[in-house]
Amino acid sequence: MKLSTKGRYGVRALVDMAVYAKNEHISLYSIAQRQDVSENYLEQVFSTLRKAGIVRSVKGAQGGYILADLPENITIERVLRALEGDITIVDEDTGIKAADNSSISRLLKQHVWDRMTADINNLVNSITLGDMADDYRKKNGLAEEMYYI
Amino acid sequence: MKLSTKGKYGLEAMVDLAVHTSEGPISLKSISARQNLPENYLEQIFLVLRRSELVSSIRGAQGGYLLAKPAEKISVLEVLNALEGPLAPVSCIIEGNSGTCARYARCASRTLWEKVKALLDTTASSITLGELVDKYRAANQADNQIEYYI
Repeated sequence: MKLSTKGRYGVRALVDMAVYAKNEHISLYSIAQRQDVSENYLEQVFSTLRKAGIVRSVKGAQGGYILADLPENITIERVLRALEGDITIVDEDTGIKAADNSSISRLLKQHVWDRMTADINNLVNSITLGDMADDYRKKNGLAEEMYYI
Repeated sequence: MKLSTKGKYGLEAMVDLAVHTSEGPISLKSISARQNLPENYLEQIFLVLRRSELVSSIRGAQGGYLLAKPAEKISVLEVLNALEGPLAPVSCIIEGNSGTCARYARCASRTLWEKVKALLDTTASSITLGELVDKYRAANQADNQIEYYI
């Protein structure tokens, strides 16, 4: 049940932005360097993120991308929905199965699949880029977020 | 982050087997008919289930499959792990794989995926085939009662 490459790289790139692009835009090149991912691939990913309103692009020679909102306001649910589509643990029946008319099918949908899907959705809805940025800072020995009163 | 049809239909087949298991060995043909699943697909699934020791097979004319353990002792997680492997959105969080990624210790997203896996594991391990059979019987009983009054 693997996540797509888009989802994997997209999440990491956005966490990177939340840490390194606080108040200014950064280039995909810098993200690619730090996260060791292909810059070309990031272009495709960021095109999707821009259309979803999660990042804004800044054009020009010194251009790049910036988060469209504060990291603490961007949930992972929103990010994954943009990169992976609606989060469901199983697809609706197509092709191999004539009709979803077995009562066991319906039983599993109600008691297993919908439950697991709801679990994932609730979890990713409760985690923001801000949370993940804090985690990243700790792991990489970076200074904690400074709040100036 | 999706399960394949193997996991989805494999679980349906296992619940069907659990529901009918008191009738003796159950043929894939009968499961196929009841659940609208291709028999050859079930053959592949049951090969894996047998290797994982979740079902046992009885050969011969009246042969078929039986659950290898009581339904209450088989969790949804065991069935899904047998058919789909670990419920992990990324490979590095699977046991033994921490060496596969240079970024493991400092990764920007690993904790998130570990949480997802832990949650799915907890939910799936808390649901047994036994419970699903009970719910199936309760639902069908309700339907039968409605029919009675008509």
